[in-house]
Amino acid sequence: MNPRAAALLNWLDDRTGFRVIRHHLLDEPLPPGTGWFFTLGSILLFGLGIQVVTGTALALYYAPTPDHAWDSVRFITSEVRLGSFLRGLHHWGATVVVVAAALHMARVVFFGSYRKPRELNWIVGVVLLQVILAFGLTGYLLPWDQRAYWATVVAINISKLTPVVGEWAAGFLRGGPEVGALTLTRWYALHVLVLPPLLAVLVVVHLYLMRRQGISGPVRERRGTPAAFFPSQAARDLVMAFVVGILLAALAWKGAPALEPPADPAASGYIPRPEWYFLGLFQLLKYFPGKLEVIGALVVPGIAMTLLALLPWIDRGKSRAWHDRRFALGGFVLGAAAVATLTSLGAMDRPSTAATSGWNPQELAGATLIETSGQCAKCHNATSGIAGPIEAGHIGRPADWLASHVVDPEVIAPGVRQPPATNPRETAAILAALARMRSGPAPEQDPAAREAALLIDRNCLTCHRVDGAGGDEGPELSHVGRKYDAASIAKRVNNPVDVKPDAEMPPFGGKLTPAQIQTIATWLAARK
Amino acid sequence: MAGSGEDRRTVLARMVTVAGGVISAGVAGLVAVVAAPARLTNPRTWRRAATPSDLPSDQPLTLVLTARDADGWYETKKQSVIFLDRDGSGYRALSSTCAHLGCRVKWDETRAQFLCPCHGGVYDREGNVVAGPPPRGLERFNVRLNPQTGELEVEL
Repeated sequence: MNPRAAALLNWLDDRTGFRVIRHHLLDEPLPPGTGWFFTLGSILLFGLGIQVVTGTALALYYAPTPDHAWDSVRFITSEVRLGSFLRGLHHWGATVVVVAAALHMARVVFFGSYRKPRELNWIVGVVLLQVILAFGLTGYLLPWDQRAYWATVVAINISKLTPVVGEWAAGFLRGGPEVGALTLTRWYALHVLVLPPLLAVLVVVHLYLMRRQGISGPVRERRGTPAAFFPSQAARDLVMAFVVGILLAALAWKGAPALEPPADPAASGYIPRPEWYFLGLFQLLKYFPGKLEVIGALVVPGIAMTLLALLPWIDRGKSRAWHDRRFALGGFVLGAAAVATLTSLGAMDRPSTAATSGWNPQELAGATLIETSGQCAKCHNATSGIAGPIEAGHIGRPADWLASHVVDPEVIAPGVRQPPATNPRETAAILAALARMRSGPAPEQDPAAREAALLIDRNCLTCHRVDGAGGDEGPELSHVGRKYDAASIAKRVNNPVDVKPDAEMPPFGGKLTPAQIQTIATWLAARK
Repeated sequence: MAGSGEDRRTVLARMVTVAGGVISAGVAGLVAVVAAPARLTNPRTWRRAATPSDLPSDQPLTLVLTARDADGWYETKKQSVIFLDRDGSGYRALSSTCAHLGCRVKWDETRAQFLCPCHGGVYDREGNVVAGPPPRGLERFNVRLNPQTGELEVEL
């Protein structure tokens, strides 16, 4: 080394003692046989690091108020450079952390690493798992979309089940009479101010205790001399971090999480689904009706976590070998299998009333009116200088503003505009489409499908319901194709009395052309 | 005073411990007071809902009632979804909030029951639990007929 550089380092070491620290951090002696399984904790640490960095970057743009939260997340996704990728990294990073934590924990159990003298560090690890899950829960609310809002309503109501302090706990988590502005600020503060330092302290304690007791090493001690952490184990850690990093980047690039429509406390029939790592708990709730609820919500998970924390004392086996620990290992495997089963059952159990991601005919008709009729486009286009084009994902105005604007643009934007010549039904369709366009563009429609949606919206939805839109005078038509083919439907539309003498439905034979009736019948017959 | 140095140290150490405890408790108390929610209920008010002739006979009427309400520093339009129905000679208003975990229940025409989309709670037309996890029926709100306007009003 250059003597000047060496002198500088000596000077620095004299004042900071960094060589001792470096030696302590990198030259930890590892028992022979410490291998790839022991990289799982480092992957977890890597994942947490990703979350800290991406979370901080997201906080540069995020605003935790009901007025702005959803819009700021939309802004991150659509305007911020690499914003969608950033959000994807944070979203999938949470999954990496949970999976790595579970695998790291399983490694510790199978290697018997929690046994004396490492009991306390095992407990710190179990507490860390709770902190990680708390991060997942509090972060879920922040986008303030439908999914966030309703998942939080359910989570807070679960806390209400806690004996004695339930109401108090729910009130503390809610911050006010309803889930609203005060809940959002509260959960934001927990997510970015309370939990991170807690996590940092626990991670430092975890690592300190790990160093104090040393790495447990393989189940059967091997002969040989201990090797330093640096560089061989450090290289394994880096390889794994690299692999996980690539995987994470691919997931974030391809699968940035969708932003659902803004939170709407009045939305009926919205089916909230928790993030996948809470699906097991979500499923468990279904087995405990009524007053037994508290068992599924708190007692079973509480007992499971307590048993997990007490594992070092439950496991009284003579050695770390598997055959000496059948009871403890068997219990852990059963518990893990139960969690996995509940999670997959929860993932598969989608209620039959679940709203389809497809657009209903009213929304499709509205999209056609917006895109093709020219009513909106005469002002909303790139060249008019009056108003920008209507773009999916860029609609931030509240529903009542849009309603006034579509009926009479002059009310909100005085000056040049004349209201679009739409009837109330078309106005409703346009508003329905705009509501859907908040979260994504309308599906591609061929001309026949466009015409079918317009005809069905105009003629059928007054009385019939299709995919949640329409009236309730007549039977629902969402799955009418299961019962009738196109010819049979066409006959009914043409003149219902031909098929059913006491039909109340008016004949459409004189009102619509045979071709139009055929278009409607073909579209409806495809509804299986 | 022999050994007084030792005594002084002991007394001082105790004082430091006690003072530290008092300060920590004070800070913790302050945080608890600040973090505890200020208000957990909004006052109830009577809201116009519908006229009796609006009510269909074969199913409850689903209504979205809007009222000004406080949400933190906002005054928001709080929207409550309720089901208004005839009840013998009177009227009945049911909350659409599932008594289980607070999802929004929906009237299902074909089954003539309220269904909760989350965990499968089922209620009959009167709001009583028929199946699923809800521990009690749907909440009932007071309904009154305003003789001056002829309109039904619901206390939310």
